[in-house]
Amino acid sequence: MSDLLPALESIVYLLVPASRNDSSLRNELVTISQDILQSRIGQRHEADIGHLSDLIKRQLIKTTDSESASLRFTNLLSRLLDQPVLSRKHACVQFLQSVSSSRHSTTGPPFLPSLAPPPPSRKAASPSSPSPRTPLPQVGKSKAERLREYRLQSVAGTPLPENLLLRDTLYLLQGISGRYVQFSPDRDLDDQHTLEFVESGRYYISAPTKALIHRLSEVGYLYTRVDVFVRERGVAHGVGMIEQSLCHHLQLKLTEYYRLIAILESQMLNPSSDGDNKLKQESGLTLWRLDVWINEWRLRMRMMSVCVEGAKESHGGALVNLIHSYTDNGDPFIRTFTDQLLEEVSKPFFSTLHKWLFSGELYDPFSEFFVAVDSSLAHVQHVHPSSLDGGINQLYDDKDDLKFDDMDGPRHREGGLRLWEEKYRLQKDMLPMFVGETFGRKIFSTGKSLNFIRYSCRDSDWVVTREKMSNTGGLLKYSDISGLERSIDAAYSLASHRFFDVFIEKFKLLDHLNALKHYLLLGHGDFADQLMLALGPSLSKPANTLFRHNLTATLEAAIRSSNAQNDPPDVLRRLDARMLEYSRGEIGWDVFTLEYKVDPPIDTVIDPDSMVQYLKLFNHLWRMKRIEGTLSQCWMRMAGGARTILRIPELEPAWHRIRGRMAEMVHFIRQLQAYCRSEVIDSSWKMLMEFLRKREGDLDAMIEAHQSYLGRLVRQILLLSSKTGKEENVLTQVTDLFSIAIQYRESVDNFYNFCLSESARRDRLHDEERGIYSGPPSQGDEDEPLDEAIPRLTRPINEYGSQFTERMHTLIQHLAIHTDHDCRRLGLRLNFSEFYRSKKDVKT
Amino acid sequence: MAPPESERIASAQQTLDILHEMSQLLNTQLDKETLTTCVRLIESGVNPEALAAVIEELRRENLVRNGGSRS
Repeated sequence: MSDLLPALESIVYLLVPASRNDSSLRNELVTISQDILQSRIGQRHEADIGHLSDLIKRQLIKTTDSESASLRFTNLLSRLLDQPVLSRKHACVQFLQSVSSSRHSTTGPPFLPSLAPPPPSRKAASPSSPSPRTPLPQVGKSKAERLREYRLQSVAGTPLPENLLLRDTLYLLQGISGRYVQFSPDRDLDDQHTLEFVESGRYYISAPTKALIHRLSEVGYLYTRVDVFVRERGVAHGVGMIEQSLCHHLQLKLTEYYRLIAILESQMLNPSSDGDNKLKQESGLTLWRLDVWINEWRLRMRMMSVCVEGAKESHGGALVNLIHSYTDNGDPFIRTFTDQLLEEVSKPFFSTLHKWLFSGELYDPFSEFFVAVDSSLAHVQHVHPSSLDGGINQLYDDKDDLKFDDMDGPRHREGGLRLWEEKYRLQKDMLPMFVGETFGRKIFSTGKSLNFIRYSCRDSDWVVTREKMSNTGGLLKYSDISGLERSIDAAYSLASHRFFDVFIEKFKLLDHLNALKHYLLLGHGDFADQLMLALGPSLSKPANTLFRHNLTATLEAAIRSSNAQNDPPDVLRRLDARMLEYSRGEIGWDVFTLEYKVDPPIDTVIDPDSMVQYLKLFNHLWRMKRIEGTLSQCWMRMAGGARTILRIPELEPAWHRIRGRMAEMVHFIRQLQAYCRSEVIDSSWKMLMEFLRKREGDLDAMIEAHQSYLGRLVRQILLLSSKTGKEENVLTQVTDLFSIAIQYRESVDNFYNFCLSESARRDRLHDEERGIYSGPPSQGDEDEPLDEAIPRLTRPINEYGSQFTERMHTLIQHLAIHTDHDCRRLGLRLNFSEFYRSKKDVKT
Repeated sequence: MAPPESERIASAQQTLDILHEMSQLLNTQLDKETLTTCVRLIESGVNPEALAAVIEELRRENLVRNGGSRS
């Protein structure tokens, strides 16, 4: 500045002639001038000659109102620009413009508008001039003076040079505190990123610069967070694969970021060493330029930081979900960034998916996939080597080594179904959104089926070949969602097809279902009749006199003597007869049951619980069969006897009543049987067969179909109501009717025997009258006169008979309001002729 | 490769002439001597707007002084 002094002095002399004689005045003016020159006036403008000339032309037109002045100025300007001498031509032009405009506008634009002109007090500064106020406008404290005062009030010192700040800012971008600007040391505690500006000595940093540095330092702060995250995950154990690949991607991005920083740094260094002003202005780095450079990275860093935040809370598929939620952003920049990120991050997910979808293997060491394995079942073969002979470890068994010996063991119940249902679980929150729930279910079911085919059905060869085939089809990728969906669909249909093939052809599911229907549901009528005939006498004995080997032998005999012998031996081998747990006083009828044994993996569909249901049904149907047999036997005896031996005319009306009642019972039992057979069992069977023929869906659907089939059977055969608490009301009525029928039959038998002996006595008497000796007179003949014996015998018959009819009335009433449609129809069947009209109806 | 001294002086003179004409056109009321000094100052790196402020300030000072002396 010192070299400017003579020039300034000369200007002062020229403009204020009074100062030539007054050295103090001169010095004061020179100082003021220097102050003004060092102030920040005019620093805001970037030099632009075009803009300047425009400004001047507009001013000329305003003041002179003629085009010629403007034209002349243009001419002059072009001539000036041709001159080689001056290096700062535009500065000169600007100077002229400034002087001119300050002359034209009398007040001039206030360059510090916040400072209202204070009342003039020049007295102290210039005592030489007595101050009568002149009418001149606003001659008060000079602007320079005001500026100086303001400067003194607010801050001391000069602005910190920008290159120092730049260096600090570049440090900040790398998360390092600089010399003048530092991250506040406690930022880790409250997670607020605050900056501290070290304003040492005479340097100060202006507020706009501070704001700018704040903006820039955000990137640095975000960088630190991402970097810390990546480093932490790098050394930590048990980091999921999705997270690992996220870290990898972030690391790549950070490397790019480092590259940018390095470039910026070299940009900053170059011009300063050169020292040429002009060059610096064109290629050098300023805080503003830095801001522009870094702007894109700010967005990126924000995204990355969000991902990092998310990764702290969520895991695996949920993390993919989180990232995916940003792909719907309207900003194409963010969208592409997220897409890229997702493509990378979802790679391990898709490789897991691939393995799961095509080979049924779950390779998920960090449990990130949306299918979770039940650890207790996954390693079950190590815990109970013998428990799941049909389960996983059959892979290691010989193919033909079917084990039947430990099928009765309690651990067997853990088998098929539980393995199927609980080994793998679907975790909805881990399911990526771009897959969608329906597809997620398909994927889940496909993999599960494959896994099941492979391990439980011991059909691993097929899966392996399939896997090889599908491997050629290319990899699954995030960017190819439609392809993914196609391959999921294909894999699903293939797997489910294969599944049905395996179950129906290899494991003969249909044969088993048929066998259950034929034997346990008494579909083979001849077999049931043979069994009933052969077993009948022994089942009437107390339960504890029965032996299982006798039962099985009888069963064998029944099979051999009926059409059942034509069934495949594999089916017959599974059929078994046994006794349920019995208590005192129970007879064989109560405890006898048939049994059908299934082995894995069929027991996944026909699980132990279903077997219990089948046994329940068998029990009921078997009892029905027994009543039918008893009644028909009784009827045959009675009808045959009435014609031949029972000729007691006075008892004829009683027999008539008995026959009527008996017909009623036979009607009841026949209708009930017909209902069970044709309306329930066969129609449900048809539905089940239709499902199996379609071959759609997976094992779950198959289990579901079987369950609904069985459920319908149980509900309708046992006449269960859906009203809670009253489910078995109708069933108890029916069983009551059964027992009444049996008691009735017993009393009829007694009566029959009595009639038989009575007619024999009469025959003998008749013979004696004719003088024929037909045998010795029996001793007990006179024990009981006929008049006493008949009421004793007919009373229970009548009692049971009326009880039966009464119960039938209530049963039909109950059936009429039954919740199940088919059960209501049974009521209609039973009362088709309106025989059981209620008394109320009869009266009306 | 500096141009000959005379040529340089001539071109400087020409430039100054142009600037002076411009200054007259803009009605800055600067005489040639002041203008020359100002241009020299600007060439040595002084901010033009600040310099304009200085000029204005000095003029006002002069006005005050003249007014004071007149009265």
